[in-house]
Amino acid sequence: MAGEEEDNKKGFRMLGILDVKTPCAREAVLHGAGGSAITGLIHFLTTSRVRRSFDVGFAGFILATLGSWWYCRTSRARLLVQQRLLQDGLKNKVAFEGTSWDPETQTPRDPDQLGPRDPPRP
Amino acid sequence: MAHPSQLGFQDAASPVMEELLHFHDHALMIVFLISTLVLYIIVAMVSTKLTNKYILDSQEIEIIWTVLPAVILILIALPSLRILYLMDEINDPHLTIKAMGHQWYWSYEYTDYEDLGFDSYMIPTQDLAPGQFRLLEADHRMVVPVESPIRILISAEDVLHSWAVPALGIKMDAVPGRLNQTAFITSRPGVFYGQCSEICGANHSFMPIVVEAVPLEHFESWSSLMLEDA
Repeated sequence: MAGEEEDNKKGFRMLGILDVKTPCAREAVLHGAGGSAITGLIHFLTTSRVRRSFDVGFAGFILATLGSWWYCRTSRARLLVQQRLLQDGLKNKVAFEGTSWDPETQTPRDPDQLGPRDPPRP
Repeated sequence: MAHPSQLGFQDAASPVMEELLHFHDHALMIVFLISTLVLYIIVAMVSTKLTNKYILDSQEIEIIWTVLPAVILILIALPSLRILYLMDEINDPHLTIKAMGHQWYWSYEYTDYEDLGFDSYMIPTQDLAPGQFRLLEADHRMVVPVESPIRILISAEDVLHSWAVPALGIKMDAVPGRLNQTAFITSRPGVFYGQCSEICGANHSFMPIVVEAVPLEHFESWSSLMLEDA
């Protein structure tokens, strides 16, 4: 699949020996570091309190890492589901082409005959 | 399959294992953030000059460190329970295979259509061909059709064994007198290795499991060949 090769290459090395290749981990940590630096710096520039700025920076790291991680993972999961649906659709198209189950040969339903469980008309 | 100095899981070969990998990544990120938080608090505690000998309680911090762990546990438990129930689903299997544990080999029975059964012994190290894997290869592989739901019934003839294939996300105890059921779908063709996962005697480490996923027509020709040889 298209995204998998990019995921395999975008890893990072932790503590010099551990290769972390978890998808979205590198981006999450980088975004976390960036968010931490920005929030800590802004807090320090506005208050001149060093220790509290470090605390705020760390909170920014947690929130930015979590947010980036969650967004990346949900996007990736959605993409994988779409890829799987496409693959199944292609497989079914090849398997059912020309048969009575082929959706392209089935007649569309009359909108006036929609039942209570059918989606409403646009 | 496994490789030297491996730290993580093997690449997933079934949808269930893919879900397990995703959940593991999710839980590991939470654990990583908690560890970072604890480390930061330790450093902050050690480096502070502030001391208060007379503090008795603090409602705010008590609320935070009660509610936050509960929220974290819920965030871990919900996907965990989802996968737990997902692993128990068995949707119209195309094939049922019986895997029986013995001391010290596995036997497989394909009895849906014909009476096919064979034993699977480990290939001894001195008999390995170049390129084969030590302690993992078996003389007869359990061949299954790829992308087909397979039901596998696991039991044992003598002592406890356990049928495990990490790439498929399967581990099920083989208990004498009991039939355990699980199901899997192989997402891609290939050879997937596992080892007995319940201590069962002297050669517990020498009764591997080898699952080979092949296209359906290859599976049909393999089963015909096995029936002729039987």
